[in-house]
Amino acid sequence: MAILRTRTHWGLLIAILVILFTTPLYLGNYWLGVFNFIGITLIAATGLNILTGYCGQLSIGHAGFIAVGAYTSAILTTRFEMPFLVGLLCAGLMAGIIGIIFGLPSIRVKGFYLAITTIAAQFIIMWVINQWGWTGGQLGMTVPFASIGGYVFRSGPSQFYLIIGITVLCVFFAKNLVRTKVGRAFIAIRDNDLAAEVMGVNLTYYKLLAFFIGCFFAGIAGSLFAHWNITLTPEQFSFTDSILYVGIIIIGGLGTSVGPIFGVLFIRLLKEILTINVVPFLEDKLTMFPSGFASGVTPMMFGLVIVLFLILEPRGLAHRWNLFKASYRLWPFSY
Amino acid sequence: MKIKKLLISSIVCIVLIITTLPLMTACGGGADKEGKTIKLGITTPSTGKAAEKGRPMEHGQKDAIAYVNAELGGVEGYKIEIVWRDNGYDAAQMSNIVRNFMDEGCVMFSTSSSAMMTAAMGLANQYGFPGLAAFSSPNLYRPPQHIYGQLPDYGDDFLAFMNYYLDEVWQGSGKPKVAIHALNNSTGKGAIDAARAFADEMGITILWDGAEGKAFEHKADTISEMESLTRIKALNPDVLYISSTPAPTALIIKNARELGMNVAIASGHAGFTSKLFELAGADSEGVYGVFPTVSWGDDVPGMDKLMEYCGANHPEDAGNGDYITGWAQSLIMIKIVETAIKNAGYDALAAGDANAWAVIENEGIKKLVNYLVEGLHGPVSYSVGDNRLSKSVRVFQVVNGKVEALTDWINAPVVKYEDFEWFGQ
Amino acid sequence: MDFNWGEFLQFTITGLSVGMVYALIALGFALIWKASSVANLALGQIVLISSWFTYSMLAQAGLPAYIGLPIVAIFALFLGWVIERFALRPLIAQPILSLIAVTLGIGYFLEGLITFIWPLSTAALPDLFPKEVIHIGSAVISQEYVWVIGICLLVFLALTMFFRYHRMGIAMRATADDQMAVQACGIPVTRVFSTSWMFACVVAAIGGVLISSIGSISHGLVETGLKAFSVVILGGLDSFIGAIVAGPIIGLAETYGGGYLTEHLWAGVRDVIPFVIIIIVMVIKPYGLFGEERIERI
Repeated sequence: MAILRTRTHWGLLIAILVILFTTPLYLGNYWLGVFNFIGITLIAATGLNILTGYCGQLSIGHAGFIAVGAYTSAILTTRFEMPFLVGLLCAGLMAGIIGIIFGLPSIRVKGFYLAITTIAAQFIIMWVINQWGWTGGQLGMTVPFASIGGYVFRSGPSQFYLIIGITVLCVFFAKNLVRTKVGRAFIAIRDNDLAAEVMGVNLTYYKLLAFFIGCFFAGIAGSLFAHWNITLTPEQFSFTDSILYVGIIIIGGLGTSVGPIFGVLFIRLLKEILTINVVPFLEDKLTMFPSGFASGVTPMMFGLVIVLFLILEPRGLAHRWNLFKASYRLWPFSY
Repeated sequence: MKIKKLLISSIVCIVLIITTLPLMTACGGGADKEGKTIKLGITTPSTGKAAEKGRPMEHGQKDAIAYVNAELGGVEGYKIEIVWRDNGYDAAQMSNIVRNFMDEGCVMFSTSSSAMMTAAMGLANQYGFPGLAAFSSPNLYRPPQHIYGQLPDYGDDFLAFMNYYLDEVWQGSGKPKVAIHALNNSTGKGAIDAARAFADEMGITILWDGAEGKAFEHKADTISEMESLTRIKALNPDVLYISSTPAPTALIIKNARELGMNVAIASGHAGFTSKLFELAGADSEGVYGVFPTVSWGDDVPGMDKLMEYCGANHPEDAGNGDYITGWAQSLIMIKIVETAIKNAGYDALAAGDANAWAVIENEGIKKLVNYLVEGLHGPVSYSVGDNRLSKSVRVFQVVNGKVEALTDWINAPVVKYEDFEWFGQ
Repeated sequence: MDFNWGEFLQFTITGLSVGMVYALIALGFALIWKASSVANLALGQIVLISSWFTYSMLAQAGLPAYIGLPIVAIFALFLGWVIERFALRPLIAQPILSLIAVTLGIGYFLEGLITFIWPLSTAALPDLFPKEVIHIGSAVISQEYVWVIGICLLVFLALTMFFRYHRMGIAMRATADDQMAVQACGIPVTRVFSTSWMFACVVAAIGGVLISSIGSISHGLVETGLKAFSVVILGGLDSFIGAIVAGPIIGLAETYGGGYLTEHLWAGVRDVIPFVIIIIVMVIKPYGLFGEERIERI
């Protein structure tokens, strides 16, 4: 069955792509920056969605795998002067391989045990990056802008096209992946791994494959982040970010292809608006509270949103979207 | 059904809050557009791991600008507008904050901590957007580009203190043995680099933790350093130099006292604040510290206004050296803008674009000569090839629970760290 | 070079005492797991918020310890009740992933709340314990740690007894084993859950007060909470004795590792050792030293 079935689908797709690729015309540099970051986050979240949402292997160390990708690409392009595309690809592969290594315990354990393993993975990876000479250690490193065949992606719009292009590719790949044999195996493992094994799904192979693909996406995202942000320090990949990624896919809707898109848009825009507008505003106006209180608003909102979604709408925004689509299709006969 | 209604209403609420708040702020700021203003970007870690320093600095910076706007009528008649962002000590946030400053048309920006400037400097250097870091480490401007340091860096602290120690305190024969306990970021790294570059020249022995260039290290959120201090103790040091923020510095001092270590303990200026004395209590007695600004209440020209504003707006910061640093940082930025306006005129700065940034650097920062910052810290000048604006520090000691200045301003030398092959590796 | 026994003794004592801190936090974790099979990843934040509350009571409000600390305990009971009632109860019988994620969300929220109420980032509790250090041979240990060890053992004993002999404790064990069967027997499962959360928060609060009087109240307590997971993993998730044994093991591994390996490896080895142990245990013996191995059926 094709992804696009009707003319409306085609129309919508073309409209969305047109809007997407003309965005630089309407947005300033700053908002382009925000959308670039959204694209990068979306790639990583899509990877986590494959790993956690489809295959059911919870990872709370995603920021660590992103860091692996970012530093791999940065080291290759600065110390070995490789082209950006090689760095990008190697970043994905490296993160995928590291992902497999830390995914090995998934063969024996699952659920909470695996979650803890991935937390440990995050801390171990960050320790290595912090201490290893090649990564610039605690001071981080400066990375060149992305460039392909002599063209340097320096301006906001050019970076936007690069990042959004790769994002669209990644989302499309993920969407198709889950429709294949591999995707169905992932879903079988998520729903009941023992039953899946009995039915002939090779658990070891598919679990590790899920880790590889999920972390490959993380690596790609990391590489793009490195060449977009051009400064890398270990502090950019915090454990809090790892939790945020889990939050993103929960809010968006676990195991749905549009879920990460909604989740990322929601969280990143919320974060941007909170830090840029709401926090300074509250800090200015509500002087009866001790100064600095308003910065607590952002994490509070995130925590609250995650908890509320889990309780009230565990299927996430994607489910809302489906309901909306269904009611639109059935209108005016809603039942 | 009920649950769905709840969800929908909560989402609607959130969206409403989010959309209305910015509108309200936008309305509030609209009135200023009549007069001509200059925008300065300020970011401080007012929350997160370094908030105990970030918050007073934020207050100092804002109060100084409020003072200049209210009492001096702004800079050359133009009011200063602040674009303030909390970075939460989150490095991933920094690049967007810098982009935000550039988009808002700020003529320059400032950060408090060296770690945040490290995260910001890639972009700032690429676009030629001048930045001023209050606390700095050599990696920010070696080699010099568009980032400037308000105060001497953490390496200079170490050199200044060791010079003082060798001249005034050291009685023994031979070389004194110095152990460095460094925070695992640029704050610690600055001291390590300086120690590595100058140990032989100064005649001190650095007790490395294994290989050369590897100092004893701690994290910002450590709960016990007994283990590392035990190893340091076994090496019989004469000096324990801590380059860190107040909380870990206090813990290390406490643990060292518990172990009964008989050494001179010194702290770099990132850790030597009133918070340290609050956390370490009686244990801080006798600790040396290096600080690049005057103490609270010293008899210098700018102190009265500073204390007046602090008392009125942020009484909780009274006595905090970071407030002074923040205040002075704003004064320097204002002086830079003033110099630039005098040399190139307001119109060159009005747009807050790449041209304005170049004007700020070439006609403002690089034309600074011996500005005294109302006596709040060492004089500020620009000299070619050295992006540190102020180069002097003083050595202090806690005596009977009070911080006493032991020296006058000591000038720290220019160190061309980039000439050492190990720098930045 | 001769082996430095004085140094070794100091490492041992420091390791044991730091390990007991981890053990204390781990007990709070095991308590909830034993009763409801929920992994509480918000442990560090609960420790932190109760430390800050203690700070408010003792330092800001200036209450004496014998009034302030009971208030802290009541606060912890209330916190546990609120968390269970409003976040966990709606999720009973949800997949494990939701349960883990909800505690992450709670942790996030609590972190924000802490900044909201106490935007200080770090503070010191008033001295609760005498400052003089105790000398054991050539080594020293501060009195706070002696208290930690004592209180940790007490909490361990109390919990063990409670789970073995008290009706509620037995009900908790039964609930963890089979919720459906327990409900059929007429045991109020929801009350079992909320009691376990309330108790766990009290244990966390005790830990918070002790740890923050050793160092200072700072965000670092959250990572200390994360390190405590290595203790529960090594000891077994549902075992109090496991926590008490594994805590010192982790503490010792940390200090010995830091003490003897840092010179030869990269700096900061000490802080990464608990996480390396987690990976090793996962590969070799995933259910820990004392944990109950569960056999799965389809």
